[in-house]
Amino acid sequence: MTEKSRRSALVAGSVAFALALSGCVATGGGSSSGPGEGPDAEGPLTIQSRLTNQDAAALDAVVEAFNEKGGGQVEINEVPNETYREQLPTYLTSANPPDIYTWLGGEATRVFADEGLILDISDIWEDFDFNDALRELSQDSEGTEVFVPTSNYWWGVYYDTRLFDQLGLAEPATWDEFLDVAETLQANDVVPIGIGLTDSPWLASAWFDYLNLRINGPEFHLALLAGDESFDSPEVEAVFEAWDEILPYFDDTASGLSFNQATTDFVQNRTGMILAGSWFQGSIPADQLEHFDYFKFPVIDESVPDGEEAPTDGFFASANTDQPALAKEFLTYLASAEAQEIMYDATGSGTLLPTNPDAEVELTPYAEKGREIIQNAAGLSQFFNRDAGDDVQPSADQALTQYLAQAAEIGDILTQWQAEAQQARDARG
Amino acid sequence: MVQVAEERRTRRRRASVPPPVVFALVLIPFTLEVVGVFWPAINGVWLSFLNWNGFSAAEFVGLDNYARMFTDPVFFTALRNTGIWLILFGGISFVGGLAVALLLQSERRGVGIYRSALFLPIVFSLVVTALIWNAIYQPNGILNIVLTNLGLGDWTRLWLGDPSTALYAVIVAALWRQIGYVMILFIAGLKAIDPAMLEAARVDGANWWQRLRYIVLPQLRSVNLVVLSVLIIDALRSFDIVYAMTGGGPFRSTELLSTYMFEAAFTSRQLGYGSALAVVIFLLAVGVIISYLVRAFSESKED
Repeated sequence: MTEKSRRSALVAGSVAFALALSGCVATGGGSSSGPGEGPDAEGPLTIQSRLTNQDAAALDAVVEAFNEKGGGQVEINEVPNETYREQLPTYLTSANPPDIYTWLGGEATRVFADEGLILDISDIWEDFDFNDALRELSQDSEGTEVFVPTSNYWWGVYYDTRLFDQLGLAEPATWDEFLDVAETLQANDVVPIGIGLTDSPWLASAWFDYLNLRINGPEFHLALLAGDESFDSPEVEAVFEAWDEILPYFDDTASGLSFNQATTDFVQNRTGMILAGSWFQGSIPADQLEHFDYFKFPVIDESVPDGEEAPTDGFFASANTDQPALAKEFLTYLASAEAQEIMYDATGSGTLLPTNPDAEVELTPYAEKGREIIQNAAGLSQFFNRDAGDDVQPSADQALTQYLAQAAEIGDILTQWQAEAQQARDARG
Repeated sequence: MVQVAEERRTRRRRASVPPPVVFALVLIPFTLEVVGVFWPAINGVWLSFLNWNGFSAAEFVGLDNYARMFTDPVFFTALRNTGIWLILFGGISFVGGLAVALLLQSERRGVGIYRSALFLPIVFSLVVTALIWNAIYQPNGILNIVLTNLGLGDWTRLWLGDPSTALYAVIVAALWRQIGYVMILFIAGLKAIDPAMLEAARVDGANWWQRLRYIVLPQLRSVNLVVLSVLIIDALRSFDIVYAMTGGGPFRSTELLSTYMFEAAFTSRQLGYGSALAVVIFLLAVGVIISYLVRAFSESKED
């Protein structure tokens, strides 16, 4: 190879490389077509699943039960969670999409439903026996049901009962009691509030959600996340004034900690409390779990109706499935008490509550407490990304991690947050 | 009869067509390249003119996505960090790789161990590299413990949680991986230098520095070209180590153009803006490399 040709080969190689870089965005067309009509195609129904561990075991069990009935065959296609999140639009817009999807209720599903990508299942919903909140979560913007909620779970402030007993602390119910508990923990060299942000910045959203629910109420919270209110409004500023009161109790190494490290710190009593969903119980060593408990996020203003996070998981079908009848039959089965009992039993951990009121399951004490928190709530939210949309979550991650490190900048942080959230919404078209 | 056979033989030789397998060997890779590389790349450029979230109807917005960059503070943070990354990661990899190559080029006893030790980080998967360095940088990790034990407690930091150190902490991890690779390229280049030339220089009384300056470095020019191009491309497409260690945080302090592109396109689902960022990365890479090549080429013409 001559010097010159080697160079041109190199240039060509670099160009191809960089082109590949810029071209890693998958392409595809917009949405198309309405619900499938005519008789079902042959072959098994495919579920695209992002579920792992116990959740996957629950799905396996319920699919097996359905297949044994002989009404039709269903098979599961498992995809890693992160890939699933990124690829879901591609699955739904592909020419031959999978039939059924595991997904989240509320806005997360609505964004696809409004584009006509999800099968209208209002006819089978007629026979469902869920409460109105769940029905609303399962609708598109025009009030058509598109989603089957099969389980939800609770959030709470987890703590080590041994540590609390040792320091003579009781579960706080009000903001003042909560501040007292934090003060006592700190006085005893325990960092009151643990959190790990390097790989899970979204956990900070739980604190924002709860403070906003307690200060401005569920109605404002949902309007804010839906984009009808602004992140730089006086109401949101009030949230951060309350947060300022507990900020000194947050672990100041949080921004350099991973979630796993934060969990370890918590289990070893370096930190006293962690705000988390029921899945957090899976991170506590099984032989230690009995020593841990959780309490409902304390009430700040008694005149504000109690809102709770109750993220709801479930299933929907693609609008372009070639087996709409079988898909509806399977979704109907998932909504049944029988199917939800099978799923609850298969998870083995009792961290997911069945949504069907007729489902008879033996709740663990943890689950019983969680169910009461959710049932007694005046309003339910899902979680930041589920209510606001996945595309708005990064703006919250940046704003909240920055707030935790540079609270004095809150004015600029909120302006930037609002701008980024709006940009994400604008891109929805 | 003999004449006819003779004639047929020459004709056959003249009209010889390569066997089909040769066409296949050319066309199959070409088709794969077109389908897998060029077509998506062209699509990426087209996407950068759209406002599209991946599933709803796309809207043509012209140059809006590019105009948005000028009012986007995160873009400038990412651009600045990419510049720092290019200079520090690229520069230190180059100088460090060359230094260890010079040190470890001669075949002495035990030199293989040192070379392997430096090359070893490349063998680890990137995720493992990120895990190792995450553990080192933990608030209660090895680095802070060592500093405290050395009586340098004031130097301890939240290495990955402090916006003033996070980017440099990640660059160190990236360098740990890259230097061994650059070393191998340079050792290959050094081996290609005719020992007789160095021997002649030594006989003429040239010292170590003079031999490096006047013989080794000029002889390495073609290797430099490869190394620099590789480093520029690697620096501009650096993504994985940052994504695995900090995800661009804390609050954007380690955001590179590539991680910002990923977030815009796949997390925030703004495929148009993400594609526009990808186009900018591409233009930067091509721009930097071409300007370097033009310079290198004009230098070599002067010789």
